[in-house]
Amino acid sequence: MDLTRREFLGYTAGAVGMLSLPQQQALAVQPRSEPFQRWWTMYSDPSSYDCESMRGYWSTLSPKPWSASAGDRDPFARLSLLIAPYVVSLLPYFVDCLTCALQRGTTVVMESGAGFADHCTFRQHRRWLRENLAIRVVSPRDPWANHSPAGARYLEFTWPRRVKIRDFGPVVAPADQQPGDVIAWAGDLAVAFRRRVGKGTLIYLGSPVGPALWAGDADARRWLYAVADAA
Amino acid sequence: MKKSIGDNMIPKDWGFERGLDLIKKAGFDGIELWLGDVAWFQMATTDAQVRELRRKVENAGLVVSNVSTGLHWASPLSARDPAVRAQAARIVERQIETATLLGTDAILVVAGLVTDEVPYNEVYQRCVEALKPLGEKAGRAGVKIGCENCNSEQRFLLSPREFWQFLNDVNHAAVGIHLDVGNIHDTGFAEQWIEIHGPRITRIHLKDVLKHRGRSGDQSVYTNLFLGDNNWPAIRAAMTKVGYDGWLIAEMEARYRYAPDQQFYDTAQAMDRLISGRL
Repeated sequence: MDLTRREFLGYTAGAVGMLSLPQQQALAVQPRSEPFQRWWTMYSDPSSYDCESMRGYWSTLSPKPWSASAGDRDPFARLSLLIAPYVVSLLPYFVDCLTCALQRGTTVVMESGAGFADHCTFRQHRRWLRENLAIRVVSPRDPWANHSPAGARYLEFTWPRRVKIRDFGPVVAPADQQPGDVIAWAGDLAVAFRRRVGKGTLIYLGSPVGPALWAGDADARRWLYAVADAA
Repeated sequence: MKKSIGDNMIPKDWGFERGLDLIKKAGFDGIELWLGDVAWFQMATTDAQVRELRRKVENAGLVVSNVSTGLHWASPLSARDPAVRAQAARIVERQIETATLLGTDAILVVAGLVTDEVPYNEVYQRCVEALKPLGEKAGRAGVKIGCENCNSEQRFLLSPREFWQFLNDVNHAAVGIHLDVGNIHDTGFAEQWIEIHGPRITRIHLKDVLKHRGRSGDQSVYTNLFLGDNNWPAIRAAMTKVGYDGWLIAEMEARYRYAPDQQFYDTAQAMDRLISGRL
């Protein structure tokens, strides 16, 4: 695949840094001991580079400036956590990187960005997930549409810790009967799962968590820190 | 101070020109144009058509006091859907463009809308982020964005100090407050809002409010000047205190069952009393 270094840096958001988890007692999260653990975000196209979700992850995980050397041919090699916020699809090169990272033991958070997409874009998204990550999803829906009154619009996460995080618009829910453990619910609707892939873990989020991080939701932060800690 | 009234107050079957005549005859100095709320001024209205609107306004002996819009109720800057946010920003940009074409320097924006789906923290942050670049555009055009305090309807920025902090966070000289003295309902006192915001006030909307009525069922809390619970001597004194000498714009509901034009005459006279302080 033809890809210049500049494009590469651009599409991966240029933000690899040492994972620096806040250590406040209130968060009750113990940072990992390995000093070289790293995290990374990637995005689908330049328009999503500045999206709220991306900024939510960035601000929460406090990235430091690019630290890979120019000669680093495999910047994903020691990655513990790879986050793909608000994704509709990714370039094939990054799918390969992501697949390799999973095989080597990286935890990948794949956040659907198709909740508000038009029908055509959603179909593209659904096919991309199915063909590249073997994730099957159903059309976006409002999980509270049949609830009257709607009640609290919280997603109930059960892993890696129990938290409630606000939903973010229509949910691109995973289809029934596919490998993996459900880790979040919107009422009766499963909205997120985790699955072992190679030595790694694939986490699919049908309702983005990034915007809640961006808006300062403390539970969303706790959840992300716990994911990073488990990675 | 000068008196203005919205073109959305013009009786539906009157048309723009006849409405302008009425506004002039009633004693107003200017007119507030509502983008998207009246047939003659829509997002699709071309620049040439906007210039024609200005010519008609000036031929009637009036000027345009500001450009407002109600379009942000359906397409708020705080929407979660990026496509809706883009449309909301485009509406503000068109307001800025048309304000320049119409020879005025102020627009009204309903900045954000808190709902059970889109929570307060998101709305606050999105509005701050949206208004920074829009403030840049407005500043370059010599236009000020006045964020209206639609306290109860928006469920957003409910106190004057919070609104002040919001404007601090936006931190742009071209973004201020379009203060509506009727929108505060029973959550505060208009005169205190005026005193706190002083130089940041871009325009003032006038209407009266029935504070004891609350907002229940289909009963409106709004009424004509001097018929409600606003403390008008205090409001007038606060304007003097902060040196507000800009446009006062009548924005009330068309409540006259008969002779709807009479509301224009009554309102203009009430505004004269307010401006002169004969209260």
